[in-house]
Amino acid sequence: MATTDATKVAARPPRPSGQRRRSRLAMRNTLLGWSFILPNFLGFALLTLVPIVVLFYMSMTNWNVFGTANWVGFDNFERLVGDGSFRIALLNTLYYSALHIPLTFVVALGLALLLNNKLRGVAFFRTAAFFPYITSIVAIAIVWNLLFSPDYGPINEILRFFGMENPPGWLTSSDWAMPAVVIVSTWRDMGYYMILFLAGLQTVPRELHEAARVDGASTIQRFFNVTLPSLRPTTFFVTVMLTINSFKIFDLILVMTEGGPGQSTLVLSQFIYTKGFEESQFGYASAASVALFFMCIIVTVAQFLLNKKRSV
Amino acid sequence: MKRKFVVAAGVAMVASLALSSCSGESADDGAEAGGPVTISMSGWSLATTPEFQVLADGYMAKNPDVTVELKEYDPLNYNTLLTADLAAGSGPDVIVQKEVKFVSTFQEGAQLVDVSDVELPEDIGGTEAYDIDGASYAVPYRQDSWVVFYNKALFDQAGMEYPDGSWTWDDYADTEEDLATALAGTGAFGGYQHGWQSTVQGFANAQVPDADILSGEFGHLEEYYERVLALQDDKAQVDFNTRNANQLTYQGEFGKQKAAMLPMGSWFVATLIAQQAAGEADAFDWGIAPAPQYDDSTAGIDNVPVTFGDPTGLGINAAVEGAELEAAKDFLAYAAGEEGAQSLAAIGIMPALLNDAVVETYFSVEGTPEDELSRFAISTHETLPENPTSSDTAAIQNVLLDLHTAVMSGSEPIAGAIKTAEERFKNEVDID
Amino acid sequence: MTGLLAPPEDARALRKLADSSPPPRPARAASPWRRIGRIGLYLVLIVAAAGLFAPFIWMIASSLKTANEVFSIPVTWVPEVFVWNNYVEIWTQSDMVTWLRNTLFLSVVVTFLQVLTGSFAAYGFARIRFPGRDALFLVYIGTIAVPWQSYMIPQFILLSELKVSNTLWAIVLLQAFGAFGVFLMKQFYETIPEDLSEAARLDGLSEYGIWRRIMLPLSIPALASLALLTFVNTWNDYLGPLIYLRNPDLWTIQLGLKSFVSSLYDTNYALLFAGLVISVIPIAIIFLLGQKYFVEGIATSGMKG
Repeated sequence: MATTDATKVAARPPRPSGQRRRSRLAMRNTLLGWSFILPNFLGFALLTLVPIVVLFYMSMTNWNVFGTANWVGFDNFERLVGDGSFRIALLNTLYYSALHIPLTFVVALGLALLLNNKLRGVAFFRTAAFFPYITSIVAIAIVWNLLFSPDYGPINEILRFFGMENPPGWLTSSDWAMPAVVIVSTWRDMGYYMILFLAGLQTVPRELHEAARVDGASTIQRFFNVTLPSLRPTTFFVTVMLTINSFKIFDLILVMTEGGPGQSTLVLSQFIYTKGFEESQFGYASAASVALFFMCIIVTVAQFLLNKKRSV
Repeated sequence: MKRKFVVAAGVAMVASLALSSCSGESADDGAEAGGPVTISMSGWSLATTPEFQVLADGYMAKNPDVTVELKEYDPLNYNTLLTADLAAGSGPDVIVQKEVKFVSTFQEGAQLVDVSDVELPEDIGGTEAYDIDGASYAVPYRQDSWVVFYNKALFDQAGMEYPDGSWTWDDYADTEEDLATALAGTGAFGGYQHGWQSTVQGFANAQVPDADILSGEFGHLEEYYERVLALQDDKAQVDFNTRNANQLTYQGEFGKQKAAMLPMGSWFVATLIAQQAAGEADAFDWGIAPAPQYDDSTAGIDNVPVTFGDPTGLGINAAVEGAELEAAKDFLAYAAGEEGAQSLAAIGIMPALLNDAVVETYFSVEGTPEDELSRFAISTHETLPENPTSSDTAAIQNVLLDLHTAVMSGSEPIAGAIKTAEERFKNEVDID
Repeated sequence: MTGLLAPPEDARALRKLADSSPPPRPARAASPWRRIGRIGLYLVLIVAAAGLFAPFIWMIASSLKTANEVFSIPVTWVPEVFVWNNYVEIWTQSDMVTWLRNTLFLSVVVTFLQVLTGSFAAYGFARIRFPGRDALFLVYIGTIAVPWQSYMIPQFILLSELKVSNTLWAIVLLQAFGAFGVFLMKQFYETIPEDLSEAARLDGLSEYGIWRRIMLPLSIPALASLALLTFVNTWNDYLGPLIYLRNPDLWTIQLGLKSFVSSLYDTNYALLFAGLVISVIPIAIIFLLGQKYFVEGIATSGMKG
């Protein structure tokens, strides 16, 4: 059935026009679209959307998790604006994201390009790259803590060997703790995003590469003119997910630094967890979650628009 | 269309939320007065924390028509899971209060019954931790307090006298330095200080006269931190950063003889005995000394040393009523009373009621040190709560935790960290 | 896998349609420089792989130590005495078989539902224009941005009211309908030329038929990556099972292991690591099997160019 010749496909039939037809078509498409979305949407709405709507409501109350939830309007948000810890958490989260997003993006894409080649043992190397993501986070924290140890850790020993007299204190220093966390999180996440890029690379049409090669384009030219444009849906997906996940970073910080030293690696998710589960200010914690939600939405919409503009 | 649906669903959800927590369906209903009654009680790590089963069994033997069922929780996430269960109306009838700071949370959320009418023995300790606005919301059954564990073998090896109970913190620090010098080259340190904020702040809050963290002034911590930092700098103990990088455990450091002294809570007595018996810890003689004091006025065995420690208590779910409520209150009185205390002491746990008979039972447990000073340290102390019971406590503790990591890691000097903490108190805690 | 998704003859035909048979690459003479470059590349890769495996190797080493030896200074990579008994102990004294069975059940069901409903919904978002579509899609992505901890309690109350908490279905419901799969599949559907669907429409195929016979076979690398990531995330999830699965018979491997070791006198990390090493093996195997779907030739080549 699908053996139609490719050349025949290119000629599209003229679309039916006319107001009534269009509205009937819109109706038909709406039903059709929803019929596809519905099975997933039912579960999604009940389990994710409803609790999140409740969360939005609770951000306007002084909810303490046990029933009592008095309406306080925008008080929680006003308090957030004046809260020094929230400001620190926000800035730390942005700092983390600014380092982690580009770094992970580049490393993951590089790995995917490298391991998309026909190499002997490629399955082994792909598995190796993915292993940090499935290794127990406790083991990761311990081994990296040890690598970063200021006095006798191998990282600082190498730095000293290359003539650095006062190598950084890494996790024990409030200036270097965040870069250290970024290094570990990039190391941990790159295999995850590599998989997404690997899948995306399979959609790059091979004959485009061949054509470019025939035109005498270098490897680098082909990467920028063929691979990257064809990969755009994947890069969009990876950027959005990477951004959101960076804004939400939590577990790695918890096992590596617990937000310390002092508040130097306190991030938004941890602020939310502490306010909610340790200090029982769930209303206030909800307001912080809503703030995080809007941050992500703004960045995502910006990326969405940028992506649309580029692909036109 | 879909927007309406979402809003409607959200409203329905909110309503069901409110409903579930107001009606608070009792976990088990339908028991008639006089008939058999079942009450549920929370607990954690039942296999290795026998205290819950011991209390339940002892009570059931006396009251055959009451069944006490245990509901096991994960020990590390106990309060989170309990919070979720209580919010969903499926909490246990008798709620073990693992950490004092959550009592005011549960009380403010109207989850606890006022148990002021449960009769308690006179010399029981730790009750003040559960007083909120003149009423009691839990009864203590267990009261640990902080002491100093010391390794007699390492003291002998260093050629030093065992503690005599007269120490102030300066004496303690001097001894730790001397031990470290004498033991240099053996791989053992003078002392081990665990990473918790309470190892410094708990003592300071309890011992410095007029210290009150609720006031928002934290100047009293300075002296305690300076002493510990000096010990770190002199390599008399493992420093905070190394400790964190290697996730050292106090059980491993003391049990494997890497440190001659260890300030720790009295719960470690039972653990150490068990680990030595199982071969997980080395076999060596050890003893218990009272907590070092702020100054001479409370030091010495003719005084009552001041230390800190939080009780563990039992509260009752606000949804419990009728015959179950009666049974639950009766159970609380049993657990906190003489019989409960005896049965706990017999398994190496320090009960909140600590009279002579109970102490006698406690020291009859095999493996417990038998010297006079250990007995004094366990039985004589004024144990203050680690933190005052207040709805601000959790927030203040978090501010002080940040101070602790900043100072101990050496990334901020103590004076500046105290100033930061006091400013954060004004900005984040003291806002209403 | 291909055979599962589309009748073989269809898939073959599709691939033939999609692949405009590129000319064979000119064979190049292997110069010695090229060979040295290759060897260098492998050296770099092997060193990098060692760095990636380091924590895992330390975990294996520690799983053979005694409890109090795991964390010590200086850090040890080789145990004093090899305590093989840790593996025997964790296997015989804990309910690992039950936990593995539960985890396998959850991972398979969740992955199946996520891939099925996610790829189905993605077609609606990618290929059918209707009012409100983009806004709804934004809502989907937006929910990914909310940390789970912050709406965990309302969700727990809801599922408790529905009487599914403390059943395995709670985790299935929790994980199976996430926005992640929808978003991922939508992005990949957009790389498949619209002309293919048009042709199929002319041949009288319905939209469902297009999804089934064209989109699915052509997005196998994406389906593979979605399945792999969903499987691994469900396998390693700790917080979800912790909150919802209170009955020890329902525990998953991560929850069971952590509960088991933390209920000992003190967390015995040597035992924990022994259990974790065992629990990683199935994922490693599944990954090794799954990664072979990331090969050129299965996916379409574009006709846009």
